Amino acid sequence: MILRIENLIKTYGDVKALNGLNLEVKQGQIYGFLGPNGAGKSTTILSTLGLIFPQQGRIELFDTEVFRDGKYDESSLVEVKRKIGYMPEHATLWEFLTPLQTLDMIGEAFGIPKGKRAERSEELLKLLNLWDVRNKKVGKFSKGMRQRLLLAQSLINDPELLILDEPMTGLDPSGIAEFKGIIRELNREGKTVFFSSHILAHVEEICDTVGVIVKGKLIVEDNLESIKREFLRRAGYTIIVETSRPVSFDGVEWKVSPLGEKKYRIVTPGDIREEIHDFVASQRAKILTMQVKEPTLEEIFLKMVE
Amino acid sequence: MMWGFRLEFKQNLRTKKFWVIIGIMALLYIPSFYIMKSFFLQSGREITNEAAMSMLISSITGMTSFFVAILALLIGATAINSEIEKGTLRIAMSKPIKRLHYIGGKFLAHILVLLIAILFSTAISIAGILYIGGSLTSQLVTDVLLLNLLLLLAMIQLVALGYIISTLIKSATTALGLALAVMFIVFMIVPSMVGFLAIKDTMNNPHTSMEEVQQIQKEYTTKYLFYDPISQVKVITADVSTMSSSNSGVIRNIRYNGVAYAIRHNPTNLAHILWLTALYLIIGFYRFLRMDLR
Ligand SMILES: Nc1ncnc2c1ncn2[C@@H]1O[C@H](COP(=O)(O)OP(=O)(O)OP(=O)(O)O)[C@@H](O)[C@H]1O
Ligand SMILES: [Mg+2]
Repeated sequence: MILRIENLIKTYGDVKALNGLNLEVKQGQIYGFLGPNGAGKSTTILSTLGLIFPQQGRIELFDTEVFRDGKYDESSLVEVKRKIGYMPEHATLWEFLTPLQTLDMIGEAFGIPKGKRAERSEELLKLLNLWDVRNKKVGKFSKGMRQRLLLAQSLINDPELLILDEPMTGLDPSGIAEFKGIIRELNREGKTVFFSSHILAHVEEICDTVGVIVKGKLIVEDNLESIKREFLRRAGYTIIVETSRPVSFDGVEWKVSPLGEKKYRIVTPGDIREEIHDFVASQRAKILTMQVKEPTLEEIFLKMVE
Repeated sequence: MMWGFRLEFKQNLRTKKFWVIIGIMALLYIPSFYIMKSFFLQSGREITNEAAMSMLISSITGMTSFFVAILALLIGATAINSEIEKGTLRIAMSKPIKRLHYIGGKFLAHILVLLIAILFSTAISIAGILYIGGSLTSQLVTDVLLLNLLLLLAMIQLVALGYIISTLIKSATTALGLALAVMFIVFMIVPSMVGFLAIKDTMNNPHTSMEEVQQIQKEYTTKYLFYDPISQVKVITADVSTMSSSNSGVIRNIRYNGVAYAIRHNPTNLAHILWLTALYLIIGFYRFLRMDLR
């Protein structure tokens, strides 16, 4: 097991940021850590890295216990950190350094020899499209450039585990697609990736496992498809159909509301696309378009806490 | 340890902090030497190294020490919280670096930066004394250096006190405000009240001589202002030269003892500076080791 968190509790005064969190990340996974704002994602990540002190629980990294009941074992923590790359949420890097100097500094913290550091920095800056600005001060960087440098610094030690806190927040769609490509590539190289987000679209297509955290507790941990299916089962399907001619839905059990002359919204507890198809055909009409409305992540969260 | 040190040192040299320290020192010294020179010219007195040293001491323990003390406290008070606010500390501490090594390295870097500033100040002081007509002797160099090192010790104590503030107050701006308030109340108002108390307590006896008043002031400062390193430096440097006066209060005779002598003769005051520095560091470091870095 790369990361195992057991019954983690972190309170801030009366606020329970983590309320008995359990979580496991396995070797080779791309794990999406989903949750609405304030759910405790950053709190979890900061605890994993020993940056904040939870009151109770246990944390294991690479099968080494690093935290138990309010105390970190700092020597073990330092050892496992050699194998971890971390990208924080809204952080700035040292504004007075250039990307080259930044990566050099970080590489030095890992004890990477000078020549190797330079080699690796060049590789990463090229990978993340920062090579042209390698000698420009970070203070003058745009948001996207900062984000990419934050990712670069997390990769300098060629980590086995990458922990990214909201890495795609603030990126435009093409940036997100590019980012996902990089993550996928890193995963193919054998890195385990654990990243948080509050946006469903961020975890789609790339995560094999998604954990949903709400109010400091993990409420589901599964692959995204199962999570969605489970949600649809509970929340009901919303299907929008457009027909070739008006159709009368009198007498059906489904909740139907017209959206136009030949357009209807149908809400049902299960997947009834075939039934709709047959029903429309029975009225000698054709279905021109049929779409299943995706639930938003917020809807999923709300349903799941209920 | 060395990683934290190098990072902090670079940061100090490349950001404004360091140059502000140097700038303020230059700003404080150059005019005061100019004034000294015109003073000596007008009074027509002979310019000796000793006389120049006395003036330098009053200038350093006066204005200079005050500004430099504020600066040292501010460096400490924003050392940790500002890095938490920016997020750089989370990046640094997510690397395989122990917290104690990081803060230890940071402290060493602060000492080095202040030491460079102090050496710069020593050089300016010596140049200044030569400019107003003193002569370059090894005694002069030693004394100016020792004087500046005393000031360095005082600054280090204030940096250490600043660390405690920095771990207590999450917002760097608030910490800055608090540090200024502490500076004015604890290091300005209280010392002047103690000074006043000393004078009041000697007033009862109209026959008290100037030496006795000074003695009481020294005792009170040692006893009640042990936490104020600047006051302790003042007590020590007061012994650099001894004045003897007649009953009417006219200064008859000034004997120059040197800074080394003054330090040797006031071990309690030096000890106050040192043990409090150690205490502040222990508290500050301990808090840093156990604090949430967000
Ligand atoms: N320093 C703090 N003091 C008090 N409460 C805090 C502190 N930091 C976090 N919290 C609280 O802890 C809870 C969890 O916060 P956390 O930052 O982990 O959420 P998150 O899931 O990362 O949210 P976001 O998507 O906004 O980043 C929130 O209710 C937050 O208000
Ligand atoms: Mg967060």
